[in-house]
Amino acid sequence: MAMTISDEAYRALEEAVGEENACREPAMLDSYCWQPFLNMSTDLWVQRPIAVVLPGSAEEVQEVVRVCNAHGLKFKALSTGWGAHNGPTYDNVVQIDLRRMNRIIDIDEKNMIAVVEPYVCGGELQAEVWKHGLNTHIVGAGPHCSPLAGATSMHGCGNDSIYMSTSSRNLLGVEWVLPNGEMLHLGTPGSDAGWFCGDGPGPSLRGIVRGTSGAFGGFGVFTKAALKLFNWPGPDEIDSEGLILDSTGGLPDCSLFYNCQFSREEDFIEAAYRIGEAEIGYMFVRMVTSEFVLLLMPHLFKKLVKHRAIMDLLDKTMAYPFMILLVGSTERELKYQEEMLNQIVRDCGGMAMKFNNIPPAANLMGMNLLRCTIFGTVFRSGNMFATNLDGNEALTTQTDWCSTMEKAKKRYIQSGGLLDDGSDNPYMITYENNLFGHCETIYLYDQRNPEHLESLEPLGFDTTLAAIEQCNVPLAAFEPVTRTAMSPLAGNFNRWQKEISLAFDPNGVSDTGLYTDEKEPDPEKIPAEKMEHFEWLKARFGRKG
Amino acid sequence: MSVADYREDMQGCVRCSSCKWVPFNHMKSHRFSGNCPAISRFNFHSYSGSGRMNMGLSVLEGRSELSEKVSEVVYSCQMCGACDTACKSYREIIDITEVLLELRAECVESGQLMVEHMMTLDALKRENNMLGEPKAERGAWAAGLDLKDINKEKVDVMLHVGCRFSYDPELRGSIRRAVRLLREAGLDVGTAGAEESCCGGRAFELGYRGEARNFADDMAARVKASGARYLLTPCSDGFAAFNYLYPLMGIELEAEPVHMVQLLDILISDGKLTLENPLDMRVTYHDPCHLGRMSEPYLGGWKGDKRDRLRSQSRTGRFGIYEEPRRVLGAVPGLELVEMERIKEYSWCCGAGGGVYDAFPEFATWTARERLEEATTTGASAIVTACPWCERVFTDAVGENGFEIKILDVVDVVARAVGLEEEE
Repeated sequence: MAMTISDEAYRALEEAVGEENACREPAMLDSYCWQPFLNMSTDLWVQRPIAVVLPGSAEEVQEVVRVCNAHGLKFKALSTGWGAHNGPTYDNVVQIDLRRMNRIIDIDEKNMIAVVEPYVCGGELQAEVWKHGLNTHIVGAGPHCSPLAGATSMHGCGNDSIYMSTSSRNLLGVEWVLPNGEMLHLGTPGSDAGWFCGDGPGPSLRGIVRGTSGAFGGFGVFTKAALKLFNWPGPDEIDSEGLILDSTGGLPDCSLFYNCQFSREEDFIEAAYRIGEAEIGYMFVRMVTSEFVLLLMPHLFKKLVKHRAIMDLLDKTMAYPFMILLVGSTERELKYQEEMLNQIVRDCGGMAMKFNNIPPAANLMGMNLLRCTIFGTVFRSGNMFATNLDGNEALTTQTDWCSTMEKAKKRYIQSGGLLDDGSDNPYMITYENNLFGHCETIYLYDQRNPEHLESLEPLGFDTTLAAIEQCNVPLAAFEPVTRTAMSPLAGNFNRWQKEISLAFDPNGVSDTGLYTDEKEPDPEKIPAEKMEHFEWLKARFGRKG
Repeated sequence: MSVADYREDMQGCVRCSSCKWVPFNHMKSHRFSGNCPAISRFNFHSYSGSGRMNMGLSVLEGRSELSEKVSEVVYSCQMCGACDTACKSYREIIDITEVLLELRAECVESGQLMVEHMMTLDALKRENNMLGEPKAERGAWAAGLDLKDINKEKVDVMLHVGCRFSYDPELRGSIRRAVRLLREAGLDVGTAGAEESCCGGRAFELGYRGEARNFADDMAARVKASGARYLLTPCSDGFAAFNYLYPLMGIELEAEPVHMVQLLDILISDGKLTLENPLDMRVTYHDPCHLGRMSEPYLGGWKGDKRDRLRSQSRTGRFGIYEEPRRVLGAVPGLELVEMERIKEYSWCCGAGGGVYDAFPEFATWTARERLEEATTTGASAIVTACPWCERVFTDAVGENGFEIKILDVVDVVARAVGLEEEE
């Protein structure tokens, strides 16, 4: 029988947020449980919360957290809430839905900073900051995601990372409700000095609160954050008609869109490094040619993928393409970037195709790219996708990761455990002058197909093994099985993470399921030889204690 | 069909929440970024298109009960279709609107009814209209217009006025002007007068399938008997019912549904109506959901895996009636049309639809107020629309909140531009 909340505790929650902002109706609670994305379980319902509350302010969040402390309940906050990591992992969790906290507190044009609450989504923030000649980083997951969540609690790379870096790097001042209900301001807001810096004057705890990949909601609640903004010389808004596939929102005059192709990996890498050195580019994404067919014409793709020769023609002839958007504040600057790009591509033996003068392509890659909407079409083929997340690392490691994951996926595709997407299906971006990269190898499945769901955990385990062998920490280490596997191999990081969690959360009220909890792999799902191999790796490279 | 028939649609939800916002390429501000009145007003995920499907699946799988509260959530929705369009930006496998219709039918089936809707349905059965007004007075709006009576003679164009225009005294002027404009253009239309009855569309949306079917059958028979080639209506709800809900119910009409704005557009472009009087006005146009995305024709039920469905085989809301009213307004000399942020297939609802006006009047007015605030940011002195239900709820909201904006039907604007004299 599902656990229920006591009347006394529920009344206290109602008092904290107002009666109309608290709920314990089972079917309504279940609307928070259906989380198929990044859900490795065969049951796509996550643990049902015992109540959901909608605080309207940081003070109300504090009050809810205090109620949880007083009544022995746990809490888990979510913002836009996409993915299983947003849901509870314990049976006594109050879900804090931050939807009512959706204010843009400030757009400081001069200092290029926005201060936002958790439920402001990337699309909303971008629409507003464009009016100030500024832009905000939108994660590859899409404009429906919360920039605050990306910056405080997760990783968060995107097409624009070449210019705007990653979410974690854009985090400045933070307002944080601690697991005991106290409020702490990190960075300059901690000393009433504005929001411009995350590291003081004032407490500097960015490494503690988020580290590499964030605490995934397992470490208090972040109620405000200041984010870096970037130059946007484009228009205040781009008028467009249509939905994504028939979009007419073309490229603004300040931009040029190129697709560049290379047949050899080393040439692609060299070009990317030189682009970074030249400090050109506003968006940079590596996707293979067949992925465009997959996204835009899934029905055609389904036919093509059966013909190896055609797939090879698409993907192997020019195996290392990237698309790049150049944006210039002046015509002269744009011209410089264009000439530089063409020279680099030429020098590296590649081919550069300009799409601005091809209206259908320009329309497709205008708003869809700038607002990061095109990638949502990945749902069209299989209905669901997931990614093999590698650690953000040197660019060369990322192309290696693509090849490794292509092989790992193939086995599952051949056995009917995944949809056939041609295997080579990367989403790779660059940042920090292109020295670093982030690569997700996409895999497609249908969440309604039990055979596909059975593949997810074993594939995830294969990913972990592959990461270990490549001396990498997969970003999927938020997932307990991966964390358990990785921690001994990476300085026992989770032991320290637990210590930190305990210091801030003595009553254990945060739902730490995706932050510090550990879980052994299911031997019924992981073949014995893989488990043996894993144990060998642990014994060979792991650290005790 | 039943909720169970849409199990795969519900299981297909990836919970991305795109259904809560206008399609992102069209997002122009934080203030007007939402597309769904219910989630915007009530905030719990269960009030969104996604959340409703998650709830429906939970009930279907026996994880939870279809309780009174669940029913209240299900009915706190204008059935405006905005979530469906936003979802279809990305994929073709989920028909949220149809899931929501089935959830309502399930509520009725299991006895989880809204009292206000029961009263509306009682009135509908008794008086043949959604307002509970005497059926004998249905044709009173046309007094003195000398319209053809389709009960006595065949007509080429049958005019179905709809419940709201038939009885709402504040809107009566618009429908009478519409008829006078048609006369001006040399077009003769006929009506059923007191014999006209509700199209049944709203009853279907409320989940009362049997009653909806009766009224729809009656409507189809009346159209057939009239011999009309065209079924003309100024009611967007009715228009959506004819184009979408009737085929969904398997009912074929023997006349082509035409909305009044479509006809006005044709009459103006053919030179049958001359818009000579300049109107020095700045107006904005509100796309009624049921003239826009919800009027997109039903494309037939899909058998099998919807992943196999082509884009052109799924309703996206892109093919509603959007250009005709804009062309009509654009043809009015002196009139400046300024657009709101949320238009066409991603237009914000007026608030009146789906039975919300009856059961949750405050929510209806809240929704209308949101739209009127958006309209006032354009600097328009009037919000023009083409649906009596929108006009009703806007008029209520203006009155209650002191907005300085006029509410007009497209017909009213055209009538002024044509120089139609006001009736005494």
